[in-house]
Amino acid sequence: MTTERITAPAPAGRATLRPPRSSASSARRGDARLAWLLIAPSILGFIVFAAYPALRGVYLSFTDYRVLSDPEWIGLDNFVELGGDAKFWSSLGTTIYFVILTVALTMLVSVTTAVVLHRLTSSTAIRSVVILPFLISNVVAAVVFSWMLDRQLGIVNIAIEALGGDAVGFLTDKGWVVPTLALITVWKTAGYTTILVFAGLQTIPPQIYEAGKLDGAGEVQMFRRLTLPLLRPIMAMVLVLTVIGAFQVFDIVQVTTKGGPANASLVLQMYIYDKAFGQFDFGYASAMSLVLFAMLIVISFAQMRLLRASESDQG
Amino acid sequence: MTTKKLLAASAFGVLVMIPIAGCSTGGDSGTETISWWTWDDKQAVSYAACETAFEDANPAIDVEIKQYVWDDYWAKITAGFVGGNAPDTFMNHPSYYPEFADQGQLLPLEDRIDESGFDLDRYAIGLTTWGEYKDGSVYGLPKDWSTMAFFYDQDLLAEAGLTAEDVATMTWNPEDGGTFEDVIARLTVDTNGVRGDEAGFDADSVAVYGMSTLTGGGINGQDTWAQFAPTTGWELGDAENWPTTFQYEDDDYVATAEWIRSLVAKGYTPDFEEFTTGIAEQLGSGSVAMVQSGSWNLNTFAALDGVNVGSAPSVVGPIGERRALSGSNADVIWAGTEHEDAAWEWISYLGTEECQTLAGADGTFFPSIAEAMTATTEAFAEQGIDTSAFTVQFEDGTLYESPLFSGGTEVQSTVSSMSELFWTGERDSDVFAEMDEASAAIFAEHAD
Repeated sequence: MTTERITAPAPAGRATLRPPRSSASSARRGDARLAWLLIAPSILGFIVFAAYPALRGVYLSFTDYRVLSDPEWIGLDNFVELGGDAKFWSSLGTTIYFVILTVALTMLVSVTTAVVLHRLTSSTAIRSVVILPFLISNVVAAVVFSWMLDRQLGIVNIAIEALGGDAVGFLTDKGWVVPTLALITVWKTAGYTTILVFAGLQTIPPQIYEAGKLDGAGEVQMFRRLTLPLLRPIMAMVLVLTVIGAFQVFDIVQVTTKGGPANASLVLQMYIYDKAFGQFDFGYASAMSLVLFAMLIVISFAQMRLLRASESDQG
Repeated sequence: MTTKKLLAASAFGVLVMIPIAGCSTGGDSGTETISWWTWDDKQAVSYAACETAFEDANPAIDVEIKQYVWDDYWAKITAGFVGGNAPDTFMNHPSYYPEFADQGQLLPLEDRIDESGFDLDRYAIGLTTWGEYKDGSVYGLPKDWSTMAFFYDQDLLAEAGLTAEDVATMTWNPEDGGTFEDVIARLTVDTNGVRGDEAGFDADSVAVYGMSTLTGGGINGQDTWAQFAPTTGWELGDAENWPTTFQYEDDDYVATAEWIRSLVAKGYTPDFEEFTTGIAEQLGSGSVAMVQSGSWNLNTFAALDGVNVGSAPSVVGPIGERRALSGSNADVIWAGTEHEDAAWEWISYLGTEECQTLAGADGTFFPSIAEAMTATTEAFAEQGIDTSAFTVQFEDGTLYESPLFSGGTEVQSTVSSMSELFWTGERDSDVFAEMDEASAAIFAEHAD
């Protein structure tokens, strides 16, 4: 979303919209100057903090760069190595597993919550409470959850044991660790996506539901036949945001498991970080980042197309 | 005691003042400011005593001591190398040494050592690591040493009917675990109060483990198997330094590792990552009767609330001797410093008996010069702390150092996570051959 806003420069847009009138050209130039001035800070920020690092990253992915010595051009070697790197493929698998769990659960939780909120309450206070977890920093949430889920001292396991169960190593057991991380992420982000879906629900005119009722549709039927189709554009956006966000998971993993046990939660970003900042292999890490970047572009584009995100079914 | 506390307090005061003082005097054309970094909070205070003495003797040099916690420390140093503002001098660790030296970030010291007649033989320990590097240069002056020993709860030991002598003379072998296994079986108690060596013991419901876990421990097993496997004659690398491969595949190592897993099944030690708290907390809370830890934790265990902690040296193994992993840190100069002379003055002073004795006077670490070590041992004794469980290894010559190898961080990250497959029980000992192969591949890649 942010990208879209930045890549549509205001002056060009205005110029094409306006019918070409020679008398207005000087005024337009005056406008353009002001416009450039006004967007200069964000363009500068974009160039310094996004465009240059991204291009440099692309360049570094074709080099052997160990930070302390100059980068050395090695062509496609990094990508060839990547193809045979079992750890890369397994971390990609872990990431996709995490993404599927997170996205499915986030969509389910946020749509359900939003619909319930929309149908049952008009209290702003309750709506605001939903977004609270999103306002907590990822690191803080991860630290608190790692305490709560601690196998020995965590309150969750104390409760499980009090109910007669066996303690679960939520973050130390190979089978549990990715689902646990996904649940923490869902808890963190579902509030935000709920509010987005909720906003989408508010754009649906109540007359449609009235018409539905007159035609004899029940709540469930109206949800499936009316709400979901009309929500499609906003759902598409939420889906794209959640998928990208989930692919980029890092801080929660870094704080709770650092990729362990035995690489069970080694997501791609974690592996990239370890290669770059742990092993100083910035060239290889850049190559992996580039692959992730390419995958995200393809996935986002495909999602937008498949879900026809820019069109609405509302007449 | 009071004077000591006063000294420590004033030393700390000086430490806090330094950054401020550094700012105000930085502009003076007469004085040169050099920085020295350490990750060890205790040593940062101890070495402030050296700083005062050094600045009195060298009024033209102003030393700035800074301390950062371990992770931040290395991140800041690396960022400093790239950004051109790394500290002039800093404390270096063996695991980061080859990486930094290979990248040309450390100043070679051999010429200055020759010119000034600095005698490396003064060091009783640490030269295996910090002596000549593979390129023939010397990059660091070893400042300290540390090793591992057992810490146990004296009351739990007495309840089990064992004596300090029983623990101090433990033998071990990978077949039946020797008297070490007898001791920890005796110390283990299940929730019904039955001991590990008694009939009816329930291994699935343990209240007090006899020993903290020996599983895991990364590539060198520092706080786990490093004091066991090498007593069979086994060595981690195929050379003292610059090995071409690790040797986990060796029968002696495999036997040790499998014996360690058998202890988990028997209920004598916790499983891999079963306990998430630190070992001091495990001992302090009474959930284990004995742990293995480093000499840098002597003060920590002595100060443990409500537990009378005793210490014992590591086990005597099949070769008839103990083997304990020892590590030495060194003071190094950053190759990019603008104050080479002053930096050398400072780190060569850190390597004198005078400074090590001053810094060792509050008993927080073991200095690398024998005479200073004597003073430190006395300082520990004054605080009522017995260091013999550690020093006996030094006196008997049973310490060994981890080999130096290039590509350290990559080996660490690759091999450690593979070893976790064994410790979590997901793979059996067949994973060790793969770990050896992985290490050999990385070493070959980094060989010049």
